[in-house]
Amino acid sequence: MRLPKFDYHEPKDFHEASMILSREPGARILAGGTDLLVNMKHKVERPAAIVNIKKIPGFNNLRVVDGVVRIGALTSLKKIFNHPYIAEKLPALASAASSVGSYHHQSMGTLGGNVCQQNRCKYYNQSAWWRSSRELCFKAGGKTCHVVGKEGQCWSSYCGDTAPALMVLDARAVLESEGGSREVDVENLFSGEGKSPLRLGEGEILTEIIIPREAANGFSVYKKIANRESIDFPIVGAALWASPDGGEIRVAYTAVDRKALRARKAEQVLRERTIDQQTLEKAQGLVLEEAKPVNNSVYPSSYKRKLMGILLGSMVNQLMGRSES
Amino acid sequence: MKRAVALQINGDTYDVLISPNETLLDVLREKVGLVGTKKGCDLGACGACTVLVDGEAHLSCLMLAVDAAGREIVTIEGLAQGGDLHPLQQAFVEKGALQCGFCTPGMILTAKAALDEEANPTDATIRKKLAGNLCRCTGYKKIIEAVSSAAALNRKER
Repeated sequence: MRLPKFDYHEPKDFHEASMILSREPGARILAGGTDLLVNMKHKVERPAAIVNIKKIPGFNNLRVVDGVVRIGALTSLKKIFNHPYIAEKLPALASAASSVGSYHHQSMGTLGGNVCQQNRCKYYNQSAWWRSSRELCFKAGGKTCHVVGKEGQCWSSYCGDTAPALMVLDARAVLESEGGSREVDVENLFSGEGKSPLRLGEGEILTEIIIPREAANGFSVYKKIANRESIDFPIVGAALWASPDGGEIRVAYTAVDRKALRARKAEQVLRERTIDQQTLEKAQGLVLEEAKPVNNSVYPSSYKRKLMGILLGSMVNQLMGRSES
Repeated sequence: MKRAVALQINGDTYDVLISPNETLLDVLREKVGLVGTKKGCDLGACGACTVLVDGEAHLSCLMLAVDAAGREIVTIEGLAQGGDLHPLQQAFVEKGALQCGFCTPGMILTAKAALDEEANPTDATIRKKLAGNLCRCTGYKKIIEAVSSAAALNRKER
């Protein structure tokens, strides 16, 4: 499969990369390449230019300073889950990073790339030949979303593994552009629009993830259900973080909506009530109110909804020291 | 526009003229003539195209060849030294860990990256790291045995 033609840039720093992105709106960032190049081979993405940021020095490492973890966006997923501090203190992130794709994807793929990956849908992530049997979907350049049958909308799902883990750890993202840099909560990176899932300004690039010191003091877990454990995207993935006294609990999901999603109603119930079976069932009911899974994969939305509750139960049981379910 | 790029492959330098949209896999097979690296799914899902880039297992179908400039690439052709098979290759032969052989280069190079990273892996670790390399013939049992026996041999020689 040949890649479409494009102009190729290897900027020496993020400032230059940002300038190219601003100058060429059709340009796309290349880091690990495991998401973008597949989409380009499928011809669902045809960027006029590729900006290869992988060779920009200084952003492929992880530092822990006074308990604050700073991870360069170009750090490989393998380097993250193999880091002793992450493995011991932030197991949700270690587990999420190690559940991405295969060993190869974990060696090639970067944290920034994993967070900023494209949304997925059974009508979009297909070869040009497969898609030629019907008109293009809205995300691929057509008019109508084949999932909901409506024009001007896209109901593809965000399926990144690391985003929900970072969200429950209260991580922040550093975005750089020609105009300077700013920090946002990881949750606020996501627009909730299937067609353009990231909320980035002109020329902005994710350069670093910052995890606060408090994250390491709590309990954290990421769980994923996939077709093949070895390589697949999640059918549903979920992360939970709880403070040592249980006064703060955060829950986030992936692959259930157009963006990675915090389950705030369920969090509130788990925070305010004694966690027993009744509370858990109440919380399991509430997570279903917060997500809008649709039939955009080979798994029906009803199955995803069921898995959302099962994963919450499994994580809460682990939090409470109960046997795994 | 084509670019002149020097690729370091198996310890040799190859000067090639490539377009930015060519993958490392295509350049290895079609321009350098190293066809030991196989094209399977061409989408990063089967592991047949695995090569080592700076010692790490990479899917050459998902890497631009221009991006490989300045990095050390090892393909299956670079493993045997002076006519002697690499211990992993020897183990694959001795354990009968191949049938059609199409997945074998990728399997062996992934195993090499895994063993270089962890000399004493459990079978579970070997399985996890080889899980992205698909084999449609062997059923994997002999492959795991071969990697495990090469690891044991490695340890004995240390």
